[in-house]
Amino acid sequence: MAIKKDLSIEYLGVKFENPFCLSSSPVGSNYEMCSKALEAGWGGVVYKTVGIFIADECSPRFDNGNKEGTPWIGFKNMEQISDKPLEKNLEMMSKLKKDYPNKVLIASIMGSNEEEWAKLAKLVTEAGADMIECNFSCPQMTSHAMGSDVGQNPELVKKYSKIVSEATHIPVIAKMTPNIGNMEIPAIAAIEGGAHSISAINTIKSITNLDLDHLTAMPVVNGKSSISGYSGAACKPIALRFIAQMKQHPKLKDVEISGMGGIETWRDAAEFIMLGCRNLQVTTAIMQYGYRIVEDMISGLSYFMEEKGFNSLDEMVGIALPNIIPAEELDRDFKIIPKIDDEKCVGCGRCYISCFDGAHQAIDWDEEKRRPVINDNCVGCHLCLNICPVQGCITPGEVKFKEGREPHDVIFKTKYE
Amino acid sequence: METKQKYLTEAVPSFTPRTAMEEAARCLLCHDAPCSKACPAGTNPGKFIRSIRFRNIKGAAETIRENNVLGGICARVCPYDKLCEEACSRTGIDRPIQIGRLQRYVTDQEKAFGMKILKAVEATKEKVACIGSGPASLAAAAGLALKGYKVTVFEEKEKAGGFLTYGIIPSRLPQSVVDEEVQYIKDLGVEFKFNCKVGKDITIEELRKEGYAAFFLATGTQLPKTIDIPGVDLDGVTTAVDFLAAAKPNNGDIEVGENVVVIGGGDVAMDCATTARLLGAKKVTVLYRRTQEEMPANKEELKFAQSLGVNFAYTFRPGEILGKDGKVVAITGEGTDGESKIQLKADKVIFAIGQKADDLKEIVADIELNEKNLVVADEEADCKTNIPYIFAAGDVVNGGKTVVHAVAAGKVAVDSIDEYLTSIREIEATDKEVAAEKEGAR
Ligand SMILES: Cc1cc2nc3c(=O)[nH]c(=O)nc-3n(C[C@H](O)[C@H](O)[C@H](O)COP(=O)(O)OP(=O)(O)OC[C@H]3O[C@@H](n4cnc5c(N)ncnc54)[C@H](O)[C@@H]3O)c2cc1C
Ligand SMILES: Cc1cc2nc3c(=O)[nH]c(=O)nc-3n(C[C@H](O)[C@H](O)[C@H](O)COP(=O)(O)O)c2cc1C
Ligand code: SF4
Ligand code: SF4
Ligand code: SF4
Repeated sequence: MAIKKDLSIEYLGVKFENPFCLSSSPVGSNYEMCSKALEAGWGGVVYKTVGIFIADECSPRFDNGNKEGTPWIGFKNMEQISDKPLEKNLEMMSKLKKDYPNKVLIASIMGSNEEEWAKLAKLVTEAGADMIECNFSCPQMTSHAMGSDVGQNPELVKKYSKIVSEATHIPVIAKMTPNIGNMEIPAIAAIEGGAHSISAINTIKSITNLDLDHLTAMPVVNGKSSISGYSGAACKPIALRFIAQMKQHPKLKDVEISGMGGIETWRDAAEFIMLGCRNLQVTTAIMQYGYRIVEDMISGLSYFMEEKGFNSLDEMVGIALPNIIPAEELDRDFKIIPKIDDEKCVGCGRCYISCFDGAHQAIDWDEEKRRPVINDNCVGCHLCLNICPVQGCITPGEVKFKEGREPHDVIFKTKYE
Repeated sequence: METKQKYLTEAVPSFTPRTAMEEAARCLLCHDAPCSKACPAGTNPGKFIRSIRFRNIKGAAETIRENNVLGGICARVCPYDKLCEEACSRTGIDRPIQIGRLQRYVTDQEKAFGMKILKAVEATKEKVACIGSGPASLAAAAGLALKGYKVTVFEEKEKAGGFLTYGIIPSRLPQSVVDEEVQYIKDLGVEFKFNCKVGKDITIEELRKEGYAAFFLATGTQLPKTIDIPGVDLDGVTTAVDFLAAAKPNNGDIEVGENVVVIGGGDVAMDCATTARLLGAKKVTVLYRRTQEEMPANKEELKFAQSLGVNFAYTFRPGEILGKDGKVVAITGEGTDGESKIQLKADKVIFAIGQKADDLKEIVADIELNEKNLVVADEEADCKTNIPYIFAAGDVVNGGKTVVHAVAAGKVAVDSIDEYLTSIREIEATDKEVAAEKEGAR
């Protein structure tokens, strides 16, 4: 009786039973792992990036960003591509495709020159991959002929996309680095070179924390550390922004996108889909919680579709894009004055502090009653609503039009979680 | 709040979406979730808390309801501190996850969403009678209906629920929650016959003739135990079951007296004491024969009673009930040290020292009973009695455990009854085939 909607969706002409895939990383490094993931319900895997280069990794290699009691807001890693021999990886990919013919196998490759890219493309095609993802984006390669240094260079992206797409008959995806101002530029270069799709984002160059004893970044590797990739929930806003910008670019609007960066729940998934993704990839949340998270992604997304009356994911793809508009086009005629529920208020005064020190001194503090009172200075910024620890205590109230502006209907959110 | 209102309103406030998420975020999402293993009914908290954590509240509701049809009731009445929460790994860090409260949040949301997770299936199979409408029967009836049996529940009282309706205090379990979950089961196609005592108003033999192919006996333990001390027959002396069974269906509109003494130290005693206090008694004293540490009552319930100003006299057993003009005026207590003595003014004395089963021979003459007059059956394995078509579980078998144990046993009965009736159906089918073949051969 468990509700299960048909979550199947085509991406690059291949049918996925659901859009959820492992992204290329340790979560899909060998046969055993991919097989366990597919059994758990994932629609496909992007196998850990393979190359002629074999990675020699450092230890330790991870750190996590946190705030107050919440760990893993973001995750830093110093890993490169696969640390296994190419033949071994090809063998495992073949076996995966043979044992799971209805699941989708995407091979991620990374070369350091034209010959390597062409060779890798051929080999993974022969191994039975359904598509190829070109890793132009790992930010911590020990060789500058590879990784995000390539992804930041549109000429190289175009050249390697061309070589790969000519060396294979299966669809080619170019994976973008976010360590750049405009992702549209390398993305267009990839498509012009012959790639069929874009995937985004890889990890963001970062220093998560300094170690105050060893005076270097975390993690400490024999007293030193490096700048390297940040992923996980904290990256979602950045990923969504890049994806929306690409999907809104006239040259890219019809290009299919595989999205990733901080996906943990069905809600995150719905957000990526509504901004135009036809496929979704996940790493950090799996590293933190395991493959089992796909169960709630499938169930949650099914219930959401049921609730909103969507019959297929196709109906959802890109549906939010028209509502993301340039700042200069926003309606700036009004302000919404927040409303404070004195019954729900617990009298912490945080709204008062934040409004005074960080906004417009629009909240007075009634010392007697220990309650906030909104005064005429309020500009409707809603800092207080964001601060209040009590659910449903501060909510959007009256809509007031600025002087000289024509009153009209205003759509606004009334319920906050 | 007016105390009467307090009697009718749930004492523990519910979570908001935000506080529920905060609590779920404390969950360690254990690999082999010991909480789930510790739930007798298999409600699977490890899984539903994970669903909350990943913002899939509807999926969480699905897990609860599919495993435990009385999920909202159990969320409120389970002795978690001895079950799932006792097993919780988080205890090793600070304190267990509030599993019961999260379960309640999810079932409340389920209602708010108007979800119908379990859906009626067409009843094409045999007729089954469930005797009694307590949690054991309700769970069995729902499970059997979902497997396609035509199920009728026979209940001697006016309303369904057993001790859910006629026992547990509304501040812990509001009647509306019981009524909603009973309605859920009705919506699955289960029929209820009230004011019908099996053994008196109708017999099993008669029901057999009407085509009932299997029986689930879950009549609980309805008779109160008392101790034979002087004065027990005085006016004003009552039992927990009678006292509580009068209070809840009347929304607390009963005469409780001014000075109430409750004898006993279990959850039922706590319920009597808090009920008496909330319904207007000036002074309530619990008389318990052992020490506070030995008292079996749930610690939260004890705290709740204490917060209401209930007094406790530990290590005293009841001595004698004193009366005047046939009415109670006081009760004496004798210290277990052999020396101490107390005398408490009382116009009501409530015995809360346990229940026992009715005379079951009245229902089924040749059912096998043990020395405590309980039905002999293994409720964790198959609920089978000595009579092949009669199955039994719940308090009438275990002598009095908990709601969640009753639900668990009801689920066991579903599989066992289904297996029994399926095998009969198969035998009949082969018999028919053989007959038809013979017919054809002729
Ligand atoms: C005051 C009180 C508080 C409790 N508090 C808790 C608690 O907080 N948490 C917890 O887990 N447990 C609690 N319990 C225990 C729990 O209620 C029982 O373990 C549980 O109800 C047993 O379920 P059952 O289905 O076996 O029987 P019951 O709930 O006893 O139901 C049996 C039903 O069968 C009916 N019946 C009996 N004979 C016949 C007949 N011949 N024909 C037709 N109908 C018949 C009865 O009228 C009754 O409705 C409490 C018990 C009491 C008395
Ligand atoms: C430990 C680790 C190793 C990774 N290795 C690769 C890799 O080999 N190839 C690749 O294309 N991306 C790699 N990534 C990037 C992820 O595939 C993904 O793009 C990124 O982590 C964002 O998604 P997430 O927030 O779901 O983790 C790696 C990420 C992590 C955390
Ligand atoms: S997670 Fe596993 S591989 Fe990594 S350090 Fe711990 S034990 Fe070793
Ligand atoms: S932040 Fe919220 S709870 Fe705190 S004083 Fe302001 S309104 Fe009240
Ligand atoms: S045992 Fe406790 S911490 Fe572990 S899964 Fe269950 S509720 Fe969470």
